[in-house]
Amino acid sequence: MVLPPNVSEADFNAALGEFRSAVGADWVFSSDEDVALYRDSYSINWGEPEERVASAAVAPAKVEEVQQIVRTANRYRVPLYPISTGRNLTYGGSAPTMRGSVVVDLKRMNRILEVDEKRAFALVEPGVSYFDLYKHIRDRDLKLMLDVPDPGWGSPMGNSLDHGAGYTMAAFRDHFSSHCGMEVVTPDGDVIRTGMGAVPNSDSWQDFRYGAGPTVDGLFAQSNFGIVTKMGFWLMPMPEAFLSGTVTVPRHQDLDPLVYEVSYLEDLGLTGMPQYGSPVGQGAFGPGAAAMASLMQNGWPSAEAIENFVTAQKRPAWSVQLYFYGPEETVRATWQAAKRRIGKAIAGATFQDGEFLTLPIPKEKEPTQSDKPRLGIPALEVFNMVARNPQTANDPADGHADLFVTLPRKASALWESARVLFEAYKELGLPAQQNPFPTPFTYYSRCFWTGTTVPTWRDPAKNARSRALFEKVMNRCAEHGWVGYRTSPAFQDLLISKYSFNNHSLLRFQEKLKDGIDPNGIMSPGRYGIWPANMRKNRA
Amino acid sequence: MVNRRSVLKIGAATVAGVLVKMPVSGRSPSPERAHIAFQRAVFDERFAECRGFAAELHGAGVPTSAIRGDVAKLWYDDLRVHLRENRLPVAGLTDRPALFCLEELARDVGMRVIFRADHIIDQSGHTQHTAVGPASLAAVARNLPPEAGFGRTVAALFGQFDISEPRDLAAQKRTGPFSPENKTALVSWLIA
Repeated sequence: MVLPPNVSEADFNAALGEFRSAVGADWVFSSDEDVALYRDSYSINWGEPEERVASAAVAPAKVEEVQQIVRTANRYRVPLYPISTGRNLTYGGSAPTMRGSVVVDLKRMNRILEVDEKRAFALVEPGVSYFDLYKHIRDRDLKLMLDVPDPGWGSPMGNSLDHGAGYTMAAFRDHFSSHCGMEVVTPDGDVIRTGMGAVPNSDSWQDFRYGAGPTVDGLFAQSNFGIVTKMGFWLMPMPEAFLSGTVTVPRHQDLDPLVYEVSYLEDLGLTGMPQYGSPVGQGAFGPGAAAMASLMQNGWPSAEAIENFVTAQKRPAWSVQLYFYGPEETVRATWQAAKRRIGKAIAGATFQDGEFLTLPIPKEKEPTQSDKPRLGIPALEVFNMVARNPQTANDPADGHADLFVTLPRKASALWESARVLFEAYKELGLPAQQNPFPTPFTYYSRCFWTGTTVPTWRDPAKNARSRALFEKVMNRCAEHGWVGYRTSPAFQDLLISKYSFNNHSLLRFQEKLKDGIDPNGIMSPGRYGIWPANMRKNRA
Repeated sequence: MVNRRSVLKIGAATVAGVLVKMPVSGRSPSPERAHIAFQRAVFDERFAECRGFAAELHGAGVPTSAIRGDVAKLWYDDLRVHLRENRLPVAGLTDRPALFCLEELARDVGMRVIFRADHIIDQSGHTQHTAVGPASLAAVARNLPPEAGFGRTVAALFGQFDISEPRDLAAQKRTGPFSPENKTALVSWLIA
């Protein structure tokens, strides 16, 4: 059995006893077999003393039980770690940030409290998954579309509180930004509601986010200032139609105007999440592999060499798939406008019509529908798609830690980041996968993300190498101002140390809040670098 | 149908350190019912071994559910609902992603993998078996012969399994969802 730090076995057992009184003995889990269920399947410390394993888990069914758990935790100084569904793999999964914490598993708080079709919002509890909310909407034929992450087995609440994102229109795929109203159990056991939820008799909790005075909702995302027990979300009205189209541009340098034109469309709210690609770059793993290896053999190539390579390959340098949601007349007209603008801006651009669908997708067609997340349909198919990882072909990894950094939304930044990563890998003596054709992640519409994934294993020696690589790449990127937006608990202190303006004044401010709000340090110690005062020793 | 006698024979051969040729099908005129009540036997219908596994358990009176990789619909629309009411064991022979997802999802109903055997099939059809879990199952599963037909044999083993046998924590979260390139990685498993 793992005990929480600085808690005696007697106190821990007393706390478990009070948890049982609060939620019932069936919902407190302390056997090794039960606690092992909460291990992070993608842990980069698997089986090592540093693995972030829980000491126990407790599953409340209602807000009052959460309050009781929090009060007990304060009495015995037992650290808690709330999870909604605990499925944010690569970011910790169901395991706590600090070893020995008690997981507060909110799976039993799984009520869909309200879905308003005309005002297009939902109010849910933590244990509601995207699948649950989707089924609720479909079963009632509500004309609403979810924006779902992929895989979709997480919860709207957990995903948004971890700054997760989806695939449709910008206003909805930033899941935290599309929330409206929270209920939170604070570390002292109080309950607050944010925005209009603080107004007795208000019927606009899910209509207006701010209320009056400081907005505190952001304090509860990627943090440890409370346990969110209800959360509202704005939903997209079900569009009448969906249309996709693909643009290709011939030259390497064409990415710059292509990004501008696509961003123009997206910032006007005319397109969903663009999917950039590189027909030439994709050849790195296919028939063009030898040519790409030749291009990269003497280091990062010159601009002229890159353009010559593209010409020789006889394939377009870049592609982007665009997705349109709305009435049929407008999606078709918007695609025409996109063709006109991009065709005028970039010589040699080509356009291919994609899929046109009338929405919602008929229920009987859902199982075979491709690209479900773009249509707001949760799925787990991604696990099958990535089941064979070319990086670890014959010795498959057990998971991965993602290192994605935020870049300005421009081609030059993307190219520069690829060059820096290429050189960092070379310096480390590792095969560099980067080439001059990186494609950005565009989950958040106003920035690019780029980066790499590092394999995780059940083998401590391999994990040690992965951790070293991860840290070196993170440090190298940070030298250029490229820093991640979330990361595995193993690297959260390192990540937060990069947000160091004015001698870490942001973190110091967060710590002042922590000391005032959670003086006993019982809420998710260490989450995103915020430690209670008595554990705050190694911060830079 | 693999019968109780043939399963016992495999066990005896394993104890003796001898690999025996597995019976594949049609050897028993009278199907035996499974010793324990299963909620379901899950199989991936894309693979012959999995179909054989399902046929065997179906013959033993176990309800079966076919998937094609993705377990989402099976879990959310069906299994989860039934398991919340009655946590009967679920047996399966699937690929790794399916087991990975079901293992994570099973936490929601307080269930966990108590046995798993990985069957790695190379391009020539040669299969390597590794297994973790209750001793009686693991010992036999590790010594399954490398030829086709192991799906039916594993099903027969499951049908004769004593659920009260001591478990092995090492069966939980044994691998991620990923598979070796150019090989087929199937997994037989029990979730209880």
